[in-house]
Amino acid sequence: MKITLKVNGNIHEVEVEPRRLLVHVLRELGYTSVKVGCDTATCGACTVLMNGRPVKSCNVLAVQADGAEIITAEYSDELMEKIREAFKRNHAAQCGYCTSGMLISAYHLAKSGAKSEEEVVEGISGNLCRCTGYQNIINAIKEVLV
Amino acid sequence: MRYIGKPILRVEDDVILRGRAQYVDDIEPPGVLYAGFVRSPYAHARVVKVDLSDVRGAKGVVAVFGPELGFAPGGKVRYQGEAVAMVVARDRYLLYDALEKAVVEYEPLPAVLDIFEAMKPGAPLVDESLGSNIASDEVYQGGDVEGAFREAARVLEGRLSTQRVIPAAMEPRGVVAVYDGAMLTMWSSTQVPFDIKKEVAKALDLPLSSVRVIQPYVGGAFGSKLLVYPEEVAVAKAAYMLKRAVKWVATRSEDFKATTHGRALVLDYKVAVDNGGRILAIEGTVYADAGAYYWGEGLADTAAKMLPGPYDIGAARVRAVSVLTNKTPLSAYRGAGRPEATFFIERIVDAVADELGLDRIEVRRRNLVKRLPYTNPLGVTYDTGDYPAVFERALEKLGYYQLKRWAEEEWKKNGRLIGVGLSAYVEITTFGYEAVVMRAERDGSITVYTALTPTGQGLVTALAQVVADELEIPIEKVRVYWGDTAYVPDGIGTMGSRSITAGGSAAILAARKLKAELSKAAQLLNCEPVYRGGVFHCGDRSATIQDVVKAVLRGDAEAQLTVEAIYHAESNFPFGVHLAVVEVGPETGFVKPLLYKSYDDVGQVVNPLLAAGQIHGGALQGIAQALYEEAIYDEGGNLITPNLAYYYVPTAHEAPRFEVYFAEEPHPSATPIGSKGIGEAATIASTPAVISAVEDAIRKINPRARIVKTPADPEYVYKLMWSARG
Repeated sequence: MKITLKVNGNIHEVEVEPRRLLVHVLRELGYTSVKVGCDTATCGACTVLMNGRPVKSCNVLAVQADGAEIITAEYSDELMEKIREAFKRNHAAQCGYCTSGMLISAYHLAKSGAKSEEEVVEGISGNLCRCTGYQNIINAIKEVLV
Repeated sequence: MRYIGKPILRVEDDVILRGRAQYVDDIEPPGVLYAGFVRSPYAHARVVKVDLSDVRGAKGVVAVFGPELGFAPGGKVRYQGEAVAMVVARDRYLLYDALEKAVVEYEPLPAVLDIFEAMKPGAPLVDESLGSNIASDEVYQGGDVEGAFREAARVLEGRLSTQRVIPAAMEPRGVVAVYDGAMLTMWSSTQVPFDIKKEVAKALDLPLSSVRVIQPYVGGAFGSKLLVYPEEVAVAKAAYMLKRAVKWVATRSEDFKATTHGRALVLDYKVAVDNGGRILAIEGTVYADAGAYYWGEGLADTAAKMLPGPYDIGAARVRAVSVLTNKTPLSAYRGAGRPEATFFIERIVDAVADELGLDRIEVRRRNLVKRLPYTNPLGVTYDTGDYPAVFERALEKLGYYQLKRWAEEEWKKNGRLIGVGLSAYVEITTFGYEAVVMRAERDGSITVYTALTPTGQGLVTALAQVVADELEIPIEKVRVYWGDTAYVPDGIGTMGSRSITAGGSAAILAARKLKAELSKAAQLLNCEPVYRGGVFHCGDRSATIQDVVKAVLRGDAEAQLTVEAIYHAESNFPFGVHLAVVEVGPETGFVKPLLYKSYDDVGQVVNPLLAAGQIHGGALQGIAQALYEEAIYDEGGNLITPNLAYYYVPTAHEAPRFEVYFAEEPHPSATPIGSKGIGEAATIASTPAVISAVEDAIRKINPRARIVKTPADPEYVYKLMWSARG
């Protein structure tokens, strides 16, 4: 099937098999920030924004994303750069494998007007991190909430 | 020192935070093929027939490899998930379609899953050639054990056990291999590229110089990537035979079975104590549930030798037995024997205090090693420190007594079940040699190649700090490269909390060598120059590193621009005190960690920001071991926690707040850098601290509750709290 994806502002027209997962199509298009960490939509390493909402792209068929606007961790705007700086300042990344998903969840939290630590914890509870113990990630995200 | 000791931000982040760090699965050589494995559904079975004819004809399949590649040695599989065949296809979706078509005929054999059953005569044998399921059996002893037990006022005994856990690095294992007809290049999600190089060169009968192994960014390892795995060798063989690029990346469920598990040690113990709570002797056996192959050598042995912990116990006899079972092989997991030893001895010290009606802190105080260096009865020499002073300072800094009082008030006023627990630990870190190659560039900048294999620790930044300080140049001029066997003669890698101490010391030695080499610029200055701030001085004349390099390249001076240092490290012994505050749900038995505080004497701290990061992450892993995680097998040997949906890796909800402190007056190791290991400290200290805290909380309901195993999961905690109400 032929589908159209708008990824970080770039339009891609791709021919995909109906069974192909969005995460694989994005990675094949070169958006390798999107990681595969599990088979069960548990870890959140593949989190992207699809039409403004965070989704686990390993649980979305590429054909379901036809016409959708996708944001991945390669994306750059003022807010994303602020989040990156906050992550660096707070030592919020270690091995980096969960980081792309965390950046996307952080971006969504900031965009959706989250304010409290509880909202941040809930907002990243679908993103597993094995290295950081989460505190530095939570602190980094809190710094960019308005 | 301008950089060492400062919270320098990570260089690595610039790449990682743009999603541009390359992990194994991001590496796609032209024409790459995808490998997958046919794996056993049985825990123990004879492989009667592997029929791959339908696979061979399936769409997209390029090659199939059966037992001839070395799968299922001895014609049988010994754990669920063991590979029996490999398929190589041009597309991953077609690969998984093809894998379904493999027909393997098995003759199931009785599986042995419990170590005590496995040791009984007549038990099914995991490895018939051994004649029993005992892979290793050693006794470590010292001091007058019998005498101590004769004189003891009290003898306590019991069994303590730690569960089998799954390391679950966020990136599953994977490997890419390319053979171009002359040389083999591999990328692997590993901690040991040099070991892979040696192993693959041997397997393919290639000279070491024709095998290059690259460790790209690795998404966590925690000890689970420090072996050369069968898949790495198999993929290299396939690339070699096909003269193509071949890639394998594990799915999560595959990784849970095909990557080594950790912990799973049990201790049966007896301790002799006097009336004052002094522990006179300890005797016991540490058993390891080693799984199907004895890959994780020495885990029970490390736990045995470190069992006395930071306490001056005069006599000990500890046996270490590793038992084969039909489960995924056991190997190192962050701490590898020391977390278990610390859990055991801390539980024992708490039990001694309880039995004698003494304060847990006071019993620790009375037993702590008073003077360093100290050799424990099992022959391990702890290098430097002042345990009593650090312990007292830690109690103060961590606010132990204030927190105890607060927990008591919360119980009385609000009925909250809050517990406070504390652990003291000593651990052994650093071993072996490490190599650094260092080159001065013509613009005066410095290129550093390390044999360390970072998997998230921030070693590129930390090593740059060390080199910049030793050469007295701005850190921006130092660039550190890692994980490529082409550039460094050999090395061990990142494991055992050895990296900054062994690799950092090697970097210091290399920097000193480079200075000595470049000071041959004396030839230019006609004197013996003095080195200061990146410049060689002779009175009012001077030459920068840049001047010297250019002179050498012009032929006006002679010096090596590239130097190499190999540092042989002695082990060192960090000491610290950690504290946990938890809240228990009286109706659920669920434990939520609220606060975690640490005070560690790890010698010179190179980067407090990164060191604290190691404490945070390490502590949450140890907390998870204490409360949440467990690899569970059913009676047939099926792993019933086969992926992250069933296996409880903590989320942000379970994480406590962390407060990290390092000793104000640290005791450095006797190494050029003076640091001690930090990577595993919190994994070691947190489990006993949390367990002690849970016990403290539930004793408000059942004063006789005693936790003797991990995990203290809700069912266990609930039953302990409400049954046998004291």
